[in-house]
Amino acid sequence: MRIRTVETIFKKEMTDTLRDRRTLIFMLAVPIAAIPLLLIVISNLMTGQIEKEMERTSMVLVQGMEFLPDDLRGDLNGAESFTIEPDANSDLNDMIERVKSGEVDALMVVPRSFDKAIALESPTEIEIFYDEAEIRSGFAVDRLDSILASFRKATISARLQQHEISEDVIKPFDITSRNVASMKKVAGETLGAMLPYLIIIMCFMGAMYPAIDLAAGEKERGTLETLLVSPASRGEFVVGKYLVILSTGTVAALLSMVSLTFSLNYMASGIMKFTGEILSIDFDLATVILVFMIVLPLAGIFSAILLSVSIFARSFKEAQSYITALNMFIILPAFVSLLPGVELDYKIALIPVVNVSMIIKEAVSGSVQWNYVIATFVSTNVLAAALLYLAKKWFERESVLFRM
Amino acid sequence: MIQAKDLSKTFKDKKRGTVKAVDGISFECKAGEIFGLLGPNGAGKTTTLRMLSTSLKPTSGTAMINGVDVAEEPEKVRGQIGFLSGNTGLYGRLTAREMVTYFGKLYGMSASDIKLRIDKLFSMLDMQEFADGRNEKLSSGMKQKVSIARSVIHDPPIMVFDEPTTGLDVMSSRTIVQFIRKCRDDGKCVIFSTHIMSEATRLCDRIAIIHKGKIFADGAVDEILSRTGVDNLEDAFIKIVGE
Repeated sequence: MRIRTVETIFKKEMTDTLRDRRTLIFMLAVPIAAIPLLLIVISNLMTGQIEKEMERTSMVLVQGMEFLPDDLRGDLNGAESFTIEPDANSDLNDMIERVKSGEVDALMVVPRSFDKAIALESPTEIEIFYDEAEIRSGFAVDRLDSILASFRKATISARLQQHEISEDVIKPFDITSRNVASMKKVAGETLGAMLPYLIIIMCFMGAMYPAIDLAAGEKERGTLETLLVSPASRGEFVVGKYLVILSTGTVAALLSMVSLTFSLNYMASGIMKFTGEILSIDFDLATVILVFMIVLPLAGIFSAILLSVSIFARSFKEAQSYITALNMFIILPAFVSLLPGVELDYKIALIPVVNVSMIIKEAVSGSVQWNYVIATFVSTNVLAAALLYLAKKWFERESVLFRM
Repeated sequence: MIQAKDLSKTFKDKKRGTVKAVDGISFECKAGEIFGLLGPNGAGKTTTLRMLSTSLKPTSGTAMINGVDVAEEPEKVRGQIGFLSGNTGLYGRLTAREMVTYFGKLYGMSASDIKLRIDKLFSMLDMQEFADGRNEKLSSGMKQKVSIARSVIHDPPIMVFDEPTTGLDVMSSRTIVQFIRKCRDDGKCVIFSTHIMSEATRLCDRIAIIHKGKIFADGAVDEILSRTGVDNLEDAFIKIVGE
């Protein structure tokens, strides 16, 4: 293998590839613009929807309004976020149907002589019917809950006072749980779980079009045979082309890492408005370098496979359909980082794609376990090298190059 | 310059089993001569030329190209050959100059040699005007010229043309035919395949009639006609292959 020939091939293929609009779209436009834009639009839609529902007044149907104690009835009628519709006569099932159909957001059923039971300190119950599948129904329940809860608390206080019992009696101890995880880790486990999945897919997509163009494309254009009769060896072509595909895949992965971090943080800040926590992924240059080191051999695996599949295909279209099928084998293992409770061990560190996905997740959350990083790095590199070797052998087969 | 001896190639095909695409053919082709392989589609012409240009390995038999064995030193053989076929394409996103330069480098030429050679070829083929625009924008005649320049950038002593005029319009195929003649006049050894009898008659100094992987007759066109006692190659072909 002559380095100068490989360099010649690499330079030509790189020039060619960078002039291809499809490659540029998948390598640059999708990771930098399209995916973040999509995430931001979805997040805005989501937060916008939640805000809209929160501002809306809930329609609550109440059966047995007349049995509520006066102050509680006053609270309910006075609450601005409610429209209360008392209904004394309808059948319970008919009323439940109105919740199901979405005509009202919730139904509150107050039992006969509820007020008397409260006064007599005998146990009683208020039932609320709602539709779990509807956000607005959930909000209606939350609002009812908070009014009922404060009435309940007031009732307890009043009763304790009446019986001359201290409130401490019913509160033997408090429970306080304190989070010891750094915010970085929390962010890594939640938002960061998304990151490896998307980075790996972007890496694959970035490598896909050049791979199709550089191998199946040569067959389709009728340029393959002119290469085969030139003095450059099959191996030199494989390595030159491989390096181009490797580069575009890696660039796409790193670009998506940066742009996704920004957009995921933006998404998080939108959603966190409602819960008051602030989560964001942030990482330093060392993390970026670690991710680069681990994504590079993964891109190598993708490149070797894509190149082999592509040279086997007779045409651009054929290559595309093979690769679409191949896509599933990448997306599913990459998805593992999104599953809760999956922890790295030596077994996982040997499973291609899954291992890289887990390492990126750990890197982003700042809890890197170096032994697994090394295991992953070594196994991924070995596999990439083996696949590159097989790709070269594959390129030397007449039945592949001149497939009938 | 080209000596093929008992050259054979078998393929394994899932449906048809083992197929003998080329079955023990021998011929010779000298410098300054145009040698034609004439035969119908599927006769084994392309496979033969691919073995000569080392993109396929012979199953048995040998071929010497300028004294080098195709099976033993294929990479050395490749440097001696210029190859052009009717469906050879171009890299659409490169310019003619970039593409021809690329092949010059693959053939191991120095940058200055490539530049000199390109200047010469591009003015000979009248390509200067479109040499720096992308290939995908060129007309089919212009594209053909780029292919020609690509095939001779390294000034090879031997030219292999596989059905060079197939699928081309009149103007482009005229360009190719003129180019083939020029190669011979420059003293190159030219071998080309065609299924068009008239083309073979017009161009070839000698031909071999190939059918089902075997050579049925070879010699100068006149010789073959007088041997078979007919006045055109088409009739001669039918008579010789006996179908």
